[in-house]
Amino acid sequence: MRAVRRPVELQMLLPLALLVPLGFAVTHIAETGTLDPGPMGLAIGFVAVMFGGHLALRLAGNRGDQLLLPAAAAIGAVGFVMLNRLPQSQLGMDLFGVEMGMATTQLLWFAVGITAMVAVAVLFRDDGILRHYKYTWALGGGLLLLLTFLFGREVNGARLWLYLGPIGFQPGEAIKIVLVVFIAGYLAEKRALLAGATTRVGPIRIPPLPYLLPMLAIFVMVMLVVVISRDLGTALLFLGIFLTMLFVATGRRSYVLMGILLFVGGAFVAYQLFGHVRVRVDNWIDPFVDPSGTGYQTVQALYAFGRGGLFGEGLGQGLPSISGRLPIPALPTDFIFAGIAEELGLLGATALLGLALVLVFRGLRTAMLARDDFSSMLAVGLTVSLGLQTLIIVAGNLKLVPLTGITFPFVSYGGSSLLASFVIVGLLLAVSHRTALDAVAEGRGP
Amino acid sequence: MIVTNIRRLGFYLLLAFAVSAGSLAWWQIWEAPGLADRQDNPQVIAARRSAPRGSIFDVQGQLLASSTVIDGISRRTYLDPAFSHVVGYASLRYGATGVERTWDDLLTGRSDPNPLNDLLNDVLDRRAAPRDVTLTIDRRLQDFAAAQLGGLPGAVVAIDPRTGAILAMASSPTFDATAFSGDPETAAAPWAVVAGSPGDPLLDRNRRGHYTPGSILKVLTAAAALDAGVITPQTTYPDQPQQETDGFVVSGFTIREHDLGSLQPALWPLSRALQVSSNIFFAHVGLDVGADRFIDYARRFGFCAPLTLGSASRALAADASYVSARADGGCAPFSDRVELASAAFGQASVDVTPLQMVLLAAAVANDGIVPDPFVVRDLRAHAADPVAGPSEAVVETYGGGSGRRAISSAAAGQLRAAMVDAVHGLIGQVYAGAGSVARYGIDGVLTAGKTGTAERGPEVAPHSWFIGFAPGQNGAQPSIAVAVIVEGGGAGSGAAAPIGGAVMAEWLRLLAGG
Repeated sequence: MRAVRRPVELQMLLPLALLVPLGFAVTHIAETGTLDPGPMGLAIGFVAVMFGGHLALRLAGNRGDQLLLPAAAAIGAVGFVMLNRLPQSQLGMDLFGVEMGMATTQLLWFAVGITAMVAVAVLFRDDGILRHYKYTWALGGGLLLLLTFLFGREVNGARLWLYLGPIGFQPGEAIKIVLVVFIAGYLAEKRALLAGATTRVGPIRIPPLPYLLPMLAIFVMVMLVVVISRDLGTALLFLGIFLTMLFVATGRRSYVLMGILLFVGGAFVAYQLFGHVRVRVDNWIDPFVDPSGTGYQTVQALYAFGRGGLFGEGLGQGLPSISGRLPIPALPTDFIFAGIAEELGLLGATALLGLALVLVFRGLRTAMLARDDFSSMLAVGLTVSLGLQTLIIVAGNLKLVPLTGITFPFVSYGGSSLLASFVIVGLLLAVSHRTALDAVAEGRGP
Repeated sequence: MIVTNIRRLGFYLLLAFAVSAGSLAWWQIWEAPGLADRQDNPQVIAARRSAPRGSIFDVQGQLLASSTVIDGISRRTYLDPAFSHVVGYASLRYGATGVERTWDDLLTGRSDPNPLNDLLNDVLDRRAAPRDVTLTIDRRLQDFAAAQLGGLPGAVVAIDPRTGAILAMASSPTFDATAFSGDPETAAAPWAVVAGSPGDPLLDRNRRGHYTPGSILKVLTAAAALDAGVITPQTTYPDQPQQETDGFVVSGFTIREHDLGSLQPALWPLSRALQVSSNIFFAHVGLDVGADRFIDYARRFGFCAPLTLGSASRALAADASYVSARADGGCAPFSDRVELASAAFGQASVDVTPLQMVLLAAAVANDGIVPDPFVVRDLRAHAADPVAGPSEAVVETYGGGSGRRAISSAAAGQLRAAMVDAVHGLIGQVYAGAGSVARYGIDGVLTAGKTGTAERGPEVAPHSWFIGFAPGQNGAQPSIAVAVIVEGGGAGSGAAAPIGGAVMAEWLRLLAGG
């Protein structure tokens, strides 16, 4: 573990040291109407956490991709500035008698996330633990799922939360990663068989079922539990990750198509059977039918987009609250993209999507350069989990797809989501580090 | 192999992000103006709540509505309840209606009439200045019309047939909007009183009232038939005199004449038929025009589609009128000949607004051209002291539409002559003579008009209608057209015609400077 220099990462992080405090100052000035930059503690804390992550990666000798952390940090910075300027008492945590506001809590989770990222990047430098024990991981994930199902706390009609003392977390986030690891391990092993062989049922070619069966069984089980706990967003995300990884492993679009058809069929059945699905879908088709009831948040989000226009209302100048209440109650979580688009406009919101795309493309690059199938599949799965999650929630805000309650990675308020997202970055750094080490060993790299 | 697939995946993801960005642009650029106009948008509410709001004046510069900001809340004062439906209200709690709603963004300064300024204001984070609105309505005529209705449920609308400027538009009963347009905390009680009052005072009957027109619709039937060449002013129907007593059997259904009193049926051409208001004659005419052509002419006069008061981009909306049953977005084809024959004299499925009826009268007055109606004349800089009158700085003017031709000038001339007879003729003056301006002190001016008595079934008093214009003689420039309805007012000659005549006479007096 010899320390390395990570100059690109450092350069890319430097602007944040200026921009985050500037963002805090601008929002504070906008709010108070005075030329007072306001308290800077949280902004400095955020910058310190990110630079701490950078330093730790250097000390740990990580040679992985140097744009992953800056991209994640920049995306996180936008969300953090936004969260800091919202009414702080709405969300937050009461940790051992200390009440923390929304931004303080989020900063704490940024610190935890970055720590986890570095730890994961170091611990999984050797991928053996992941690759060889894939069924053990799957089992662990299954247990977690079961625990949530049995002892979870229900919030907004979905049973997603496990509580350890005062700290609640959403096991779905951890299960997401475990699922990716398992599928990557499985597909990497069986890839040749899957891509080659097919089973014919009459004129239709279907995947070779015997090879797929173990994976399908586990996947279907996970999906069942997720669907039963009414977590539609996560169900959609898991299915998307699964189909994408299957596509990358086999190159067959027909599998994806089949999966989508199955999903549409399933969605139709769910629409007929479940009231909460029906409400979501009806709302999606026309939220203006009940603009003050079930369609309220969707309609208010569209208003927020409309107010933003091309240039936005300006940072801190949006209409996030009317007499102290947020017009979109879920603004810090499900609808943070609408809040950002209102204040930063089409230009700013598109730039944020651009940053997400940078992260996705660095992740895919990591996957392409990886030296073995497992690492490739792992990196693809992890990257896609971030990318799809971003797309699903953004598209939900924009009424492109029905809204589902999942977070905007690195942006939304929420500890579990932040932690999981940084763990994903840590795993990508580990894969990327291995690739770089191999290159060094062959005398090609630095 | 995996590398190729990842590259493809990258392309798909890029595509998905591009679609998201496109959708973002859709809502933020393309749909933004529509979203910004919705009443429950917090932006609209916030602007209405705290911003100084422009004033509203009548055509003479008389103040009708103004705002003062007290304790950070904008309170609106309305000076004349006769205007409550046109001007509408801008309540912090109950939304906005009328001109207050349609011009809301300009009155509050949420947007600027010039889109370039809008963009500049957006970049510089400035607000546009609030603007004042001037109506085409003359308060003197509006108050006169409202007083004529005297609280009876009904409506009066008057228009300048040549320009389309609305001169008066009164709906009764009316209400006082000031009480619930101020502090939202105290708005609930007065609102409940108004909303719970009998007679639906919040309804603007001119734009949203739906009525059976009865005989005033014969003007449409005659216009269609004259223009299409189906009849001339001399055309008669040989069977008609006998059918006046025996009834006219159409597809097995007998159409009967209304009570002719002591009048002896005879062979009546157009002028006589209109004076007598013969249902039999107009049933024949309607059948000869034909189902498709009848609906086509109705459309030319504005039926079968929602009406607008103003330009395409900014207008008060009014409901559509129908000559047949409603089908999605228009008039359905007539179901049979009986429906067509009954529609020709204004019964069956015919369903009209007073605004549509005044446009019908105005088109005949205006040589066959339906004027483009408008109710807001211009937009001006905000006057600091509204009581002293509006600013001289006009920002934008409205109206000036050239209208569209419904029937030929020749047909309009023939119909005008028949409508003058309907008021001044030997038989006509018995029915519609009360609509003549001569009865209200205006000499030397002929009035054209038509009364209507809209049957609503047994044991319910019919609606009393009058449409007309003056001066009505061929060659004179018509200066006013009116439509009057008194709900359940009985015969058209009784309630509506006197109001119509008096309103037109008042206007001619005002024009002459009296």
